[in-house]
Amino acid sequence: MARYIFVRVLDSIPTILLVLTLVFLAMRILPGDPAIAVLGENAQPETIARFREQFGLNDPLWLQYLHFLGDVFTFDFGNSLVKSAPVSTLIANNLPYTIELTIAAMLIGITFGIPMGVMAAVKRNKLPDNAFRVFSLVGYAVPDFYLGAVLLLTFSLGLGWFPINGVGTDFVSRMHHIALPALTLAMLKMAFIGRLTRTSLLEVLGRDYVRTARAKGASERRVVYRHGLRNALLPLSTGLGLSILSTLSGSVAVELVFNRPGIGRLLIEAITERDYPVIQAGVVVFALVVVIVNLLMDLVYVAVDPRIRVQ
Amino acid sequence: MSAPLLNVESLCVEFGPKSAPIRVINSVNLRVDAGEAVGIVGESGSGKSITSLSILRLVPEPPSRIASGRIEFEGRDLLAMPKSQLRHMRGRDIAMIFQEPMSSLNPVMTVEAQIGEAIMLHQRLGRAERRARVIELLRLVGIPDPESRLKAYPHQFSGGMRQRVMIAIAVACNPKLLIADEPTTALDVTIQAQVLDLMKDVRRKLNTAILLISHDLGVIAEVCERVLVMYAGHVVEDADIRSLFENPQHPYTRGLLRAVPSLTDEHPRLYQIPGSVPQAGSIRQGCPFYARCDLRQDICARAMPAMSTHGARHVAACWATQSMPEVRSA
Ligand SMILES: Nc1ncnc2c1ncn2[C@@H]1O[C@H](COP(=O)(O)OP(=O)(O)OP(=O)(O)O)[C@@H](O)[C@H]1O
Ligand code: SF4
Ligand SMILES: [Mg+2]
Repeated sequence: MARYIFVRVLDSIPTILLVLTLVFLAMRILPGDPAIAVLGENAQPETIARFREQFGLNDPLWLQYLHFLGDVFTFDFGNSLVKSAPVSTLIANNLPYTIELTIAAMLIGITFGIPMGVMAAVKRNKLPDNAFRVFSLVGYAVPDFYLGAVLLLTFSLGLGWFPINGVGTDFVSRMHHIALPALTLAMLKMAFIGRLTRTSLLEVLGRDYVRTARAKGASERRVVYRHGLRNALLPLSTGLGLSILSTLSGSVAVELVFNRPGIGRLLIEAITERDYPVIQAGVVVFALVVVIVNLLMDLVYVAVDPRIRVQ
Repeated sequence: MSAPLLNVESLCVEFGPKSAPIRVINSVNLRVDAGEAVGIVGESGSGKSITSLSILRLVPEPPSRIASGRIEFEGRDLLAMPKSQLRHMRGRDIAMIFQEPMSSLNPVMTVEAQIGEAIMLHQRLGRAERRARVIELLRLVGIPDPESRLKAYPHQFSGGMRQRVMIAIAVACNPKLLIADEPTTALDVTIQAQVLDLMKDVRRKLNTAILLISHDLGVIAEVCERVLVMYAGHVVEDADIRSLFENPQHPYTRGLLRAVPSLTDEHPRLYQIPGSVPQAGSIRQGCPFYARCDLRQDICARAMPAMSTHGARHVAACWATQSMPEVRSA
């Protein structure tokens, strides 16, 4: 087991390097001088020269690449051009809020999505299944920013049940602040996780070993949860990974609508302000999160499926 | 005659919508006495699996349903029983082994957990006692060094070993009836013989009645005293093994036996009868074997032959060979 994890972690190093290289190339090689992109067409030649000097854009490409890797591994992305703070500080200040939001949304998505999917599968083509089908259609169809705005208008501005913006200080007020943003993100997750649960559970419930469990005298409840769901979790764990990753894009809209700090909002602001070092760091962080989440999901897979564990 | 352990009467199973049902099991009668071993033989698609699954009401519903009939076990009507009550008989009174050893065990549970579950569902035993019982069962079914295999998963066993584990699960609660649906079909020949020996062994030790399903008459002759021949959802002949081999009455049975000169032959195989099994539900009237029968008469196309007796425990449904109309005594 430990050996497998070790090998798997080693395996992900080339992936990370590849991703970093792509980010690097995307920022340097693609048409357009970054200096001009950041400073604008009408910038003074001296300003441009200083910019190129400051960011090492005059160095040969391989040296720039090594510097870039060095920066990434020391988490040193330089200073923001707009906000007077090191990029790493900006990331460190914002990332926790996005992580918090992701965890809250995933918890809601899993706690409600899995039971909904189980209900839909067990009561296939009956009322609960049809109700869930409508719910998941709505969950898929309504965009994050729209749902967020509706919730904000109704429950914060209208009824005053939830704060309008910010993140809160103590635990209770943090939960109070995060409720609506997390719920906004969780709608899609519930629909997605629920559907996935329904599909994989239905598939598993037709398997021979489920018939064996029934023939032993297991209750329907035991058949569904002990034998069915446990096996349905295998495909589900991949889906959960995808669902976590979709939060990254979803967080952009939600953090803007609810005026919350976070990595999505930081990145959007950086893009509009052409804050080049922040954009670069943001993309690297997103890429690393993708790789790490994939790695974690693989490890979940191993924990659930003994067939992989032993080899 | 003693009271039967299992008595199935006029069982009918249908597939598809209620408005246009396809009948795949047609008025099947089946009786197994305590400690007796009975076989069901027939070509693929003749309804052996559906019949055996019906007994514990394990037929997938939908698309199929038990349309009519009676299934009695020790005098209790299994079809009238609420599912919650039937559940307590599954695995305890009647246990089942399936054809597919590779897929019939749960891939994410250890062997100990799966055998232990069969015990736990019907008996109150402490953890240590349960483990001891699991080891005892593994030893009974001939798994070497059982203590070291407790934490193993199904994929770490060969097909034959998995079928042994299935048998251990099935006999965990000393059932009175063991239903085995083609338990050896997926295994290669030497392993087949071992598994059959194991079943005979288990039967001797636990005095379990056996309902053995196979398309291989040789396999059935090895284990059973009596055999039912099924064709297109009908039981066409029901006889003691010896009587069936020596004096087959139904033309289909004779076809099955054509390649089998005697009981002593090691593994008589199915003789290839010309034509193919009719599509389920396609026969609306007359004898289901009509299209392939070389003894057919006019009446065969019009009316389904009734069972007629041909000896102490020998009945067959055929117009051509019937001696006298019979009332089957139960
Ligand atoms: N899911 C299904 N939908 C429709 N018809 C089915 C279904 N499953 C089985 N049948 C029909 O029921 C009939 C009996 O099938 P059954 O599986 O009992 O045959 P069998 O004798 O066990 O054959 P085999 O030797 O292949 O296992 C077949 O004619 C088949 O066409
Ligand atoms: S009843 Fe007629 S068709 Fe059917 S098996 Fe007998 S002779 Fe053949
Ligand atoms: Mg079958």
